[in-house]
Amino acid sequence: MDDLISEFLTETGESLDVIDAELVRFENNPEDRAILDNIFRLLHTVKGTCGFLGLPRLEAVAHAGETLLGKFRDGDLAVSPPMVTLVLESIDQIKVILHNIEETGNEPAGEDSELIGRLEDASQGRVVEAVEPDAPAETVPEGWDADLGRELRPGEVSLADLEAAFLNTDAEVDVPQVDDEPAAEHLGVGDFDPELGRELRPGEVSVAELEAAFNSAEPAAGMAPAAITPDMSTTEALQTAVAELKGADDHIMGGDGAPRMQQTVRVGVDVLDALMTTVSELVLTRNQLMQTIRGLEDEDLKVPLQRLSAVTGELQDGVMKTRMQPIGDAWRKLPRIIRDVSTDLGKKIELVMDGSDTELDRQVLELIKDPLTHMVRNSADHGLEMPADRIKAGKSEKGTITLKAFHEGGHIIISIADDGMGLNTARIGEKALEKGLTTHEELAAMTEQQIHRFIFAPGFSTAAKVTNLSGRGVGMDVVRNNIEQIGGVVDVTSTTGKGSHFKIKIPLTLAIVSALIIGSHKQRFAIPQLAVRELVRVGAGSEHAIESLSGARVMRLRDRLMPLVDLQEVLGVSQAAGEAKPEGKVDTGFVVVLDAGGRNVGLIVDNVLDTEEIVVKPLSDSLRSVGAYSGATILGDGTVIMILDPNGLAGEIVSSMEDEAHYDASAAAAAETQNTQRLLLVRAGGAEPKAVPLALVTRLEEFQPDAIETTNGRLVVQYRGRLMPIVPLGGQIGAMQGQRQPVLVFSEGHGAIGLAVDQIVDVVEERVDLQMRSDKPGIIGSAIIKGKATDVVDIAWHLEQAQAGNIQRRSSKRRRRVLLVDADAFARRMIAPLLAAAGYDVTPTGGMHEVLAIAEAGEQFDALVGDPAALEKIRAQGMWANLPALAVTDWPEDTKAEGLTMVLPRSDRGALIAALDEASHEEKVA
Amino acid sequence: MTDHYDESSELAADAMIEYVSVRIGDQLFGAPVNSIREVFAPQSVTAVPLAPLEVAGLLNLRGRIVTAIDARRRLGLPPRDADDAGMALGVERGSEIFGLIVDSVGEVLRRPRAELEPVPAHVDARWRSMVKGVHRLEKELLAVLDVSAVIGTTVKSEAA
Repeated sequence: MDDLISEFLTETGESLDVIDAELVRFENNPEDRAILDNIFRLLHTVKGTCGFLGLPRLEAVAHAGETLLGKFRDGDLAVSPPMVTLVLESIDQIKVILHNIEETGNEPAGEDSELIGRLEDASQGRVVEAVEPDAPAETVPEGWDADLGRELRPGEVSLADLEAAFLNTDAEVDVPQVDDEPAAEHLGVGDFDPELGRELRPGEVSVAELEAAFNSAEPAAGMAPAAITPDMSTTEALQTAVAELKGADDHIMGGDGAPRMQQTVRVGVDVLDALMTTVSELVLTRNQLMQTIRGLEDEDLKVPLQRLSAVTGELQDGVMKTRMQPIGDAWRKLPRIIRDVSTDLGKKIELVMDGSDTELDRQVLELIKDPLTHMVRNSADHGLEMPADRIKAGKSEKGTITLKAFHEGGHIIISIADDGMGLNTARIGEKALEKGLTTHEELAAMTEQQIHRFIFAPGFSTAAKVTNLSGRGVGMDVVRNNIEQIGGVVDVTSTTGKGSHFKIKIPLTLAIVSALIIGSHKQRFAIPQLAVRELVRVGAGSEHAIESLSGARVMRLRDRLMPLVDLQEVLGVSQAAGEAKPEGKVDTGFVVVLDAGGRNVGLIVDNVLDTEEIVVKPLSDSLRSVGAYSGATILGDGTVIMILDPNGLAGEIVSSMEDEAHYDASAAAAAETQNTQRLLLVRAGGAEPKAVPLALVTRLEEFQPDAIETTNGRLVVQYRGRLMPIVPLGGQIGAMQGQRQPVLVFSEGHGAIGLAVDQIVDVVEERVDLQMRSDKPGIIGSAIIKGKATDVVDIAWHLEQAQAGNIQRRSSKRRRRVLLVDADAFARRMIAPLLAAAGYDVTPTGGMHEVLAIAEAGEQFDALVGDPAALEKIRAQGMWANLPALAVTDWPEDTKAEGLTMVLPRSDRGALIAALDEASHEEKVA
Repeated sequence: MTDHYDESSELAADAMIEYVSVRIGDQLFGAPVNSIREVFAPQSVTAVPLAPLEVAGLLNLRGRIVTAIDARRRLGLPPRDADDAGMALGVERGSEIFGLIVDSVGEVLRRPRAELEPVPAHVDARWRSMVKGVHRLEKELLAVLDVSAVIGTTVKSEAA
């Protein structure tokens, strides 16, 4: 009897959930008889069983509810929300009683006359006779089998039905009953089976259909009514019936195109879990074996092992499938919740559910259920506006909440969208400040989405007043926690006035995850792929580099700065091993870009080794408190490695985030007010970067090391059919063995000169403020670039080195002389080498007094080049009046060309050379 | 389990307890045989950064992950030499297996239950929480380890 009760509880619980959902549907479609019939039948089943099991209190409530429903069905009463609420109330009461039975095994004391009274009043509201229309319902319920004491399982036929069928062998079959007809019209495979109270699963056959088939199959199946005799016990009778049924099955299955019968078995969750664990072990062993034979050439072993591997894979898939449940199971309660919210708050809400048949692991499903409910409730409560407000905002009176679920690359995406007012950015910002989660400065630099994400912060709730439904202070942070616990992520996007959209990404299963195996400080770790956004190689040969800002590391990734944390430091590995980190070690390696609450955070690791399907093993108590790990696993080679928990690493990451925000703000401010330059950062002869103005460089080339030859004691390379001299910027050719030699090519009409560097690091756009001048030849001085002291290379000096002894240069005509006037030392240094490379002798001057001194010395030039203001002054003083004056400026369009030969943009070096060539040549002719 | 064993042993006239003798530091300890699943040589222990000090790491024991607990750390003794892996006593607790790492494992000793003496009161409190009693051997003392207590800090001692 106890088993009977517990089965009853499970089955009835499921039925009640369906009734909940169906009632809400019915309320919206009062004309849909099929829904009503289904509800009626379900409730009737519950009632019938209660009577059978001797649960009078339940039976009374169910009966009263059913009576009211009967009135709807017969059209005696119009369906109205209060009526439906009343029926729902009776359902709730049944649930309460059921719960009590579950706990104590008995019906609770007390009675429900008040509720029943109301239900009866409602039923009698317009019609006097209450009992009469219910007559058909008093007969044996359809889905319920009184002999079994529970609802029929798919494919089962009740004993009563069987008997009826037997008895009717030579009589007319009187199924379906009259009031079944509307429902029966809807029957079919994949259709709704009112008797089961749910849609038929693929392969299942409704009881009604089965009966029909039964009737037709009868003579062939040869089932004699005598098989069941009145003196048999219920069990015996059932066994006989089932045996008979089997015969019938075979017959039915032999029929053409008849849907195949599929036996379903209820299996305890613990059995499935144990099976899953065993399969996980098998997968591990398989991995180990595969790893072992990887190096072997033994065919005798290989073939069966591959077969074993494939079978294991199939087994794993199969077991996983048994654990899969449609997400609709987690959504089943939602229509009712939404209805309650809309009734309580007077909102009009439509709930759209899409993809409810998307399957996921039941363990995941269990864990996602509550967060989902909470979020939907939140959307209904806080997200959607009151009907009047919606109309004011030009929206339809009825708000919509859309739930979607779908698969995406081994994950399930669940989205919850509403078309309400959206998140109140200002309010969230205020609240975040109030809670000390951020500062005004940071807030100002944040995007809307970043601010919205504060709703996931612990203890954050913006609800101005606590409503009945949500806003009890434990809000989205709990949701986020729950989701993160199962390795999922949640994010929000919201547009004011348009609505908010929550997106949850969760793994299909928890037991086996795809993971990235990384190496850090001689140890390996696994990172769940779900959390990995991308992998970036940094250091040698990569365009990305790790930069540091007062100790906090950052990396630029697609024009954004991303905070970096070193895994070694997070885990304290380097300290634990008592080793200082080798200098410059961090410059090469990989950055695993992790998703941390919707923001990218880079984890610096030494190596990325592999991706592997790993079986997550829980940690023992003593390790569970360490937040950095979510478990451990055994790799193919038998090594145990830890699985990193990206969310657990978050604490470390947050502090770096703050630095990022500051940096963002200050960098932006600097960029706005200061004039910036594009610089090429290279490494040559030393670890520290050197900067070369990019405007001077013609091309970046790479040569094979053996392409660089030595001739006459100088390095040259054959470049475009000519010999190009190579000057090593770092003093010697520094590229590593076997790597291509990067060369900056400076080319002019007469040929090209190459500057060999060890490594091209980056191109940056920054204001260059020479902090210190250098006496060292080849270096102009030092500037702070990207927060680092960087040498700015004197290109002119290096080019002169290359040109010394250049035959071509020697053979050219008299070198024309140019006076370069620019107050900006950097500009001078930039233009001078340009002109020098083009074959001019350049005399750089920094100010008028220098110019005057040169003029007094009687020096002669072929042209004047410089900034417009200085050139105008020279013109005004009447010096070198006949010479062409070429102004070079960053803003040529803003400069008046008065008295000047030409105004050229500083960035266009080709134009300057061309103009200079032409101007000085003209001068000569004239 | 231990209780059951105790009762049945007491019924026998010559109630003997079997101990696996292990050495941790300079001290000889005895771990009741019935509390030990197996003895194995710990191989390739994966260190777990950020873990509590006494957790030596994780290791793979025939496909199961074993949490290795360093007995020296638990007893507040200085660590072993880095190249000495020691030996491990496999202990099953619930569904988890722990490996208690000791310096060396010796023979199995049988001592009469009656000879088990309580731990002297002035012994260090940390030791007293992990040692159930003392046997006087011919040459030295055998401290009886409460294996469960050594494995976990929160575990209740099964036998008083």
